[in-house]
Amino acid sequence: MTSPETKVRSLDDPSVFVDTPATIYDAIPPYPPRTEREAEFYTLREGEMLINIGPQHPSTHGVLRVVLKIDGERIVDLDPVLGYLHRGVEKICENSDWHMVISHCDPLEYIASMFSEYVPVLAAEKLLDVTVPRRAEYIRVLACELNRISSHALFMGWLALDLGGITPILYGFLERDEIVEMLAALTGQRLLFNYMRIGGVNGDLNHEFMSRLGDWMSHALRHIEDSMTLINSNEIFVGRTRGLGRIDRQTALRMCLSGPPLRATGIPYDVRRAHPYSVYPELEFEIPTREEGDSYARYLLHLDEIKQSIHIIDQVLHRLPDGPVMAKLPRLLRPRPGRAWAAIESPRGQYGVYAMSDGTDQPFRLRIHDPSFFNLQAVGLLTPGHLIADIMAIMASLDPIMGGVDK
Amino acid sequence: MAHVADVMRTLHDDPGLRFELLADLCGVDTGTAMEVVYHLWSAGTRDWLRVVATGLSREDPRAPSVTFLWRGAEWAEREAYDMFGIVFEGNRDLRRIYMPPDYRSFPLRKDFLLPDDASRSPGEGVRPMEAAPEPAVLAGTPADVRRAREASR
Repeated sequence: MTSPETKVRSLDDPSVFVDTPATIYDAIPPYPPRTEREAEFYTLREGEMLINIGPQHPSTHGVLRVVLKIDGERIVDLDPVLGYLHRGVEKICENSDWHMVISHCDPLEYIASMFSEYVPVLAAEKLLDVTVPRRAEYIRVLACELNRISSHALFMGWLALDLGGITPILYGFLERDEIVEMLAALTGQRLLFNYMRIGGVNGDLNHEFMSRLGDWMSHALRHIEDSMTLINSNEIFVGRTRGLGRIDRQTALRMCLSGPPLRATGIPYDVRRAHPYSVYPELEFEIPTREEGDSYARYLLHLDEIKQSIHIIDQVLHRLPDGPVMAKLPRLLRPRPGRAWAAIESPRGQYGVYAMSDGTDQPFRLRIHDPSFFNLQAVGLLTPGHLIADIMAIMASLDPIMGGVDK
Repeated sequence: MAHVADVMRTLHDDPGLRFELLADLCGVDTGTAMEVVYHLWSAGTRDWLRVVATGLSREDPRAPSVTFLWRGAEWAEREAYDMFGIVFEGNRDLRRIYMPPDYRSFPLRKDFLLPDDASRSPGEGVRPMEAAPEPAVLAGTPADVRRAREASR
């Protein structure tokens, strides 16, 4: 291939020359397609065109880039491009000791980081055969359910915001801010808590947290229900979400969905019941499900889950036992060689960690299974046939967090 | 290795087993061989099951794709390909998913060493990257990277 003065090597594939270096905005790669699917996607038929969304677009909730193939206003197909937030957390974890893993996993699901730091801790505890003090288990459940409510409240506001309603997100943030301040009083951090420890939690409940929690609990349910009446029966909102992005049970299982998108199709799969961890077997709560499987059902399901979480917090506060919050463990942890799978139910679905230990103080392999990664994949199945504006409503209802998707 | 697909199909379809939920799919590099690890959950028996496909060669790891059962495994397999170089036969979209298309190493392999301060001891300094056909440019603006690449050709 000749190399004229005006041409430069492509950043994507250095073996080809292009007029300008490849940028993230190039919809069509300058190289020949690498897979069957890519060839099919980048072959345009009469009347079709490619359009690029992202990677910086407010409604992608992070840095997701989507290449859309459209025919007029209708989406024919789409190709999500990931990796803009890839930090290689799994590799970093393999090179840090077990305690450091907690803070590395923290920013994965940054809206609900209590969950993303809980799973590696759970996996390490399985490998170490630690018995966590009961008070610590209850505090973990308390902190997680609070974080779930804050995440769900934000989700509901976000969904409305993506559909053009500015008001609901202010109410969503109102609830979330109270919880975030509460957790800041407990953990010292507003978002990336770094609160879970292998064998317990970092610090007991304190007075400020308890008084804030008491204040909030006295009005939480009423506030959330009040603010959600804004959108629950709003004609525009319902008109734009009902019947949108419908998915049936079999497809949901085949797409490996979990969390609200799966339960909105009627499958009561919740890790808290399917594979109980912590003290969830002792607590009473239901697993809300919906049958419709569309965006509106996913939205309503979040509201039901907030109610269940408040119910759980109520029980935890009544049953909270006394005792220590940390198990006695050596500073340097060397779990037995072996493999452990730990999963929890995060606000977005099943969050799992598959940990392998070789007997040293570092994990040999730490696989992080993020529900957003699997749920986001369904976008490619749900959007074709819909309008461009609806892709936001569908994507927001799947609630992906790019920190977890890209790891 | 074709029997992995048969095992998965039986686990998925057998009315007494019904492991219909693929909880996770990941690659593992044990240092001597590659593995693909599947975690399944059954709504019927409410059990977890871990299936480990062991002994894939490190030079040319190949495993059958399970996308014919779970379409959602497509991205997980792309991730395992991106990180370990495991080729899933039957996956029709086996591209890199996180790393750029022109990236040549497989970062989660055990012989890929971290070059920065996240490596085991801070005093150890910079470790060599996996041998790549071109010099690894570790820092700099995209223009620096491009210039270094052009210089190496």
